Formats: sequence, C-alpha cells, structure tokens
Amino acid sequence: MASVSFRNLEKAYGALRIVKSINLEIADREFVVLVGPSGCGKSTTLRMLAGLESISGGDVYIGDKLVNHLPPRERDIAMVFQDYALYPHKTVFENMAFSLKVRGIPTAEIGPRVQDAAEMLGIAHLLDRKPGQLSGGQRQRVAMGRAIVRRPQIFLFDEPLSNLDAKLRGQVRAEIKKLHQAIGTTILYVTHDQVEAMTLADRIVILRSGDIEQVGTPDEVYNNPNSVFVGGFVGAPAMNFIKAKLERDTLHFETGDHLILPSAQAQDVESYHGREMIVGIRPEHFSVGPAAADALNGRVQVVEPLGSDTLVHLSFGSSVLVVRMAPDAHPAVGETLSIGVQPCRVHLFDPTTERSLRRTPLSAAKAA
Amino acid sequence: MTAQPNREGSKSSFTRFLDLSETKLAALLLAPAAILLVLIVVYPVGRLIWTSFFNLSLTSGMPASFAGFENYGLLLKDPIFWQTTKNTLLITVVTVPGALLLGIALALMANLPFERKWPVRLSLLIPWALPLSFAGLIFAWFFHSEYGVVNDVLRRFGLKGIIWFNSEEWAMTAICLTIIWKTSSFMALIILAGLQTIPRSLYEAADVDGAGRVRQFFEITLPLLKPSIIIALIFRTITALQTFDIPYTMTRGGPGSSTATLAMYIHQNTVDFLDLGYGSALAVVMFLLSMAVTMVYLRFIRSTR
Repeated sequence: MASVSFRNLEKAYGALRIVKSINLEIADREFVVLVGPSGCGKSTTLRMLAGLESISGGDVYIGDKLVNHLPPRERDIAMVFQDYALYPHKTVFENMAFSLKVRGIPTAEIGPRVQDAAEMLGIAHLLDRKPGQLSGGQRQRVAMGRAIVRRPQIFLFDEPLSNLDAKLRGQVRAEIKKLHQAIGTTILYVTHDQVEAMTLADRIVILRSGDIEQVGTPDEVYNNPNSVFVGGFVGAPAMNFIKAKLERDTLHFETGDHLILPSAQAQDVESYHGREMIVGIRPEHFSVGPAAADALNGRVQVVEPLGSDTLVHLSFGSSVLVVRMAPDAHPAVGETLSIGVQPCRVHLFDPTTERSLRRTPLSAAKAA
Repeated sequence: MTAQPNREGSKSSFTRFLDLSETKLAALLLAPAAILLVLIVVYPVGRLIWTSFFNLSLTSGMPASFAGFENYGLLLKDPIFWQTTKNTLLITVVTVPGALLLGIALALMANLPFERKWPVRLSLLIPWALPLSFAGLIFAWFFHSEYGVVNDVLRRFGLKGIIWFNSEEWAMTAICLTIIWKTSSFMALIILAGLQTIPRSLYEAADVDGAGRVRQFFEITLPLLKPSIIIALIFRTITALQTFDIPYTMTRGGPGSSTATLAMYIHQNTVDFLDLGYGSALAVVMFLLSMAVTMVYLRFIRSTR
C-alpha cells in the first residue's frame, strides 16, 4: 500500500497544455476518483502516474519514492484499462498469471494466487476460456482479476465501466467498492460519469481543462460546489442556474419573484448589494406546496415521469428550471406551478468568475 | 362465385423476376461471379489437366493422341525434372523464411512512431512494386564478378571477390538473396497491416505487467500476428514454387541446370520445345505442389485456432 503525491504535475504536447500544474495528495488506502468532461486531462494524469505517459513538468511520488523516470513495471501498480486490454490469445488463467510469470513468481504459487483472485471475483469457472468467449461484464472482472492477483501498491482504473450497459455498470460499480473494502489498496479511478464518482470515491477530484476545479468528499462537492462548473457537473439532473439581482438580503428574479436569503448567507454576499449574481438550485431542493410569499412561479413545459420521481421542466423567465417532484405528481403541461425553495440550499456564484460566494460551508447533516 | 381473372398471364417479365424464389434469386446473383470463375480458373486448370494426358508436341507434326499417364511416367524418369524440382524446393525453403524474417524486421521498423510515416512506407513499397525481371537484372549487375557492388564491398573489407555465377552454390546464393530482398517487402506490408490491428493498450498492459520489449514481442506481437504471417506465407510459398523471372534473368538456370526452376523447365518445354503435353504434366505437378502447401497451412491455422 502507498500514498501518491502529484507536485506541480504538467503535461504538454508542444504548446498545448493538457495538464496544468496539478498538486494532489492521495492517502494510503484512499479511493480517489478523477472526474471531468472529455479532454480535461484526467486519463493523462492517470497515465503519468502509471508511467505510460512522460511527464512534462513536476513530480510524481509513490510513497516517498520519486517515480518520474521509472518504467511502469518498476512502479508496483496495476491498471484496469477502458478496453480491458486482455491478451486475446491467452486464456483467462494465462491473462491473470502473466504478470506473475513475468516477475518470476514460482509456478506453484501462481496457481493458488490466480485461483484466489478468480474466486473473489466469481470467475473461477472461466479460467480456461479466452477473452473472446466472455461477456463484457466477465471481461471486466478478468481485467480486475489480472490487477488484483499482483497485489500492487496502487490500483489504477481508466474508465473501466464505460463499455458496459447501465445495469451491469451498477453491478460492477458495487463490486469495485466491495473490492476496495476487502483489499484496502489505494485506488485512483478515472471516469467522466459523476454517478460513479459519487458512489465510489472517498474523495473526488474534479478536473477542468487540465486544472483541478475542486477536491472533496462526495458530500462536499455535492453540497458545496465551489464553482458553477462543479455545481453543474455533479448531480443529475444538473443544478439549475438563474440570474438574480441582490437587494440587501433578497434575490430578485426577472420574473418578479423573489427569495429571501438566510442571514448568514446574506452576510457572505453583502458586497454584491445591487448587483446581479448567478443563483444555483438543485432540482431536488425545490418543494411544491401551497403558494408561499417567496415561491417561484413557472409554467410547466415538459413532464418526465421516472417511476421513482418525476422531473418537471418549468419555464421561468428566459430560463428553464428542472424540478424533481414526487412520483405521483402529474402537473399538466401549461399549468403554472408555485415552487418553494429551501433558502439554505441556494448556491450563489459570482457572475464574472463563476466562483461560489458561500463562506460558511453547508454540511450534509444541516442540509438534511 | 365469380371467377378470378388470370393475373399470372398478365404479369410483366420484370414482375416475374421479382417473384423468383430465394434460391433462384441467389443463383441468379451468383451467376456472373461463377461464370467468371469457370472461365478464368476452372476451364484453364481443367484444360491443363486434360492436355497433360495427351502427346501434343507442336514440332512433331503429329496430331494430338491420348497418352494416359505416359507424360507423368516420363517426368518421373527425367533427371532435369528432379533437378529443377529440387532447386524450386530449395529456393522455397530458403527464401520464404528469409523473406519472412526480413519482412517482420522491416514491418516492425515501419511501425515505429516516425514523425513522417510516408517515406518509410514508400521505401517498403518500392522493392515490391519493381518488376521481378527488373530486380533480377539489377541484382545480376550487383553480383557481377568484375563491376558488381557486392564484390566491391567484399574487396573493401579485404575479402576476395566471388565469381557468383560460375559456381552452383554461389549462383543459388545470389538468386536466393535477390528473391529475399524482392519479396520481403510484400511480407512486410502484410505484417505491417497485421501489426496495426494490435491495440496499443495490450502493450501498455504488458508494460504494467512487467514484460520487457523482447517478451512483449514473443508473448503479444508474434502470437497476434499469426494470421497475417500465415496469409503472407501462403502467398509467398505459392509464388516461390512458381519462381521464374529472377533466376531466368540472372543465370538463365545456369551453370548447367543448377539454378533452373520447375517454372523455367515448364516454360522451356511449352514455349521453346512446344511440347504442350509434357509441359502440361509438369505444370500439373507444380499446381498439386502449390495446393498441397496451401492445405498444410490451412490445416495449421485450423489446428491452432
């Protein structure tokens, strides 16, 4: 087991900077997920840690050891690739045993180690098959088996679930979490799927254009996004963003509706008095009930029943608000709905920098 | 009940075409290809086999007469047939693995991440694109005992020049080297195509697993190249068994018949001596030889799947 440290890590292809001076400390046994949209540099960062990509600047440490110039085989890592990268001409057993064979582990030891890993992943009955004879989920498990059989210091996962269908993805996600709980190895996991990030991670690192946008626990990044980007990226459906003008402690919307902020939050944004700002509200933080004085009024455009709940799209001035409602709510299209907001759940962002203006973090317990 | 009008009779020929059963339609669609195959493959091969059972020499002035297996009996007793067959097999056994090894090396080189790929690919293509007889003439000059570049290089290294085309062994060596140079680019092209189908992530996985470059070659590249190598070997072996142009232009089969091939002997019998019956029998033997080699390769592919 080992910690990982990125210090001013950079990657550039000519003038194009893919990763811009990343600093990150990953603790021993921690499960960290790098998440971000395509091209944000998350896979490149992972590959630099693996040694599959050269480093343009900065340092990478595994434990106390600087590994900048070490080849992958000397870093004591194991990696699960997006396309699994199973050797098609080898059986499942040979795939899993390959790294042990290469490292000169005695044959008598290889068999039981492969068998143990295969049993842990429920693929013991597939050991004689070749990857071409396996389903996507089985291949995924073999790729994980190949990684765990090595007992490395760090596991790297590069979008390992992106080739699976939604149901299987949920299943394998749970298995990865169980695996981490069972073996406790440090894991760095890359995905573009924020659900994967939220469900798996001890800490989430949100990347944007090669920079770290925010690092925090799933609870922190969900409840206290430090920018419009994070607020919009974490959570599904995405956070609603509306422009409003602040007058003392009251937000005035273009529709004429208004919202009174709690005093602590109003103090945080005192200096914005008389100015416009971006207001972020998650779809699940609206409440529909009897018309309140500070309710927002919108006309129903689209109703999406999901079974577990209903998503309602409301036109609200020049914006569209997505509101998560109870499964039995069936508002009619064209109807005007009056929706309340939990004021402490309102996020405020600077309209220029798009950074959060909240100084007192919102805890999950408080929010609940 | 009113009688239905007879619609069958009023159908246009186009409608009748559309009404064909699936089997008939399949046969109709396959017919052009089948006819073409019969015309350019089945008929010539059939005609060749048929002719091989006849005494048909255009210089004898006699009409063609059925000879049964007489031509085959003759060739079994013909020392030149055995000599040319032995030469052909020797060329095949030496040049096919030679071209394969050189081809793999060239393909691996061409697959390196060059900034500009086209000059490398072009240099691979040039030997392949060169006509065989042209390559033979060029190399005949390279191996010329007085003016050849090969002897010049040997002399510069303090070695004695070789009179390449005066001895059976050296003449055969020069021919084999020329064939290897000429055909390795074809092997390289097929293997390069195979190399490009191997996903990069397999090498990355092997890197992480701890395998070095040599191990990666033997554990990943070579096994995954097997289908491409087999295809290249089938093509190359068949063409090696038909070797004609290079020995013809370099040595004319000499000294004596020591570098003559079966294809050259067939050419001599059919074109120079106009003995079509005997020449056809020789050609049938070559055809059977090619078929046998192809069957062996295909069996090998099937057994290793």
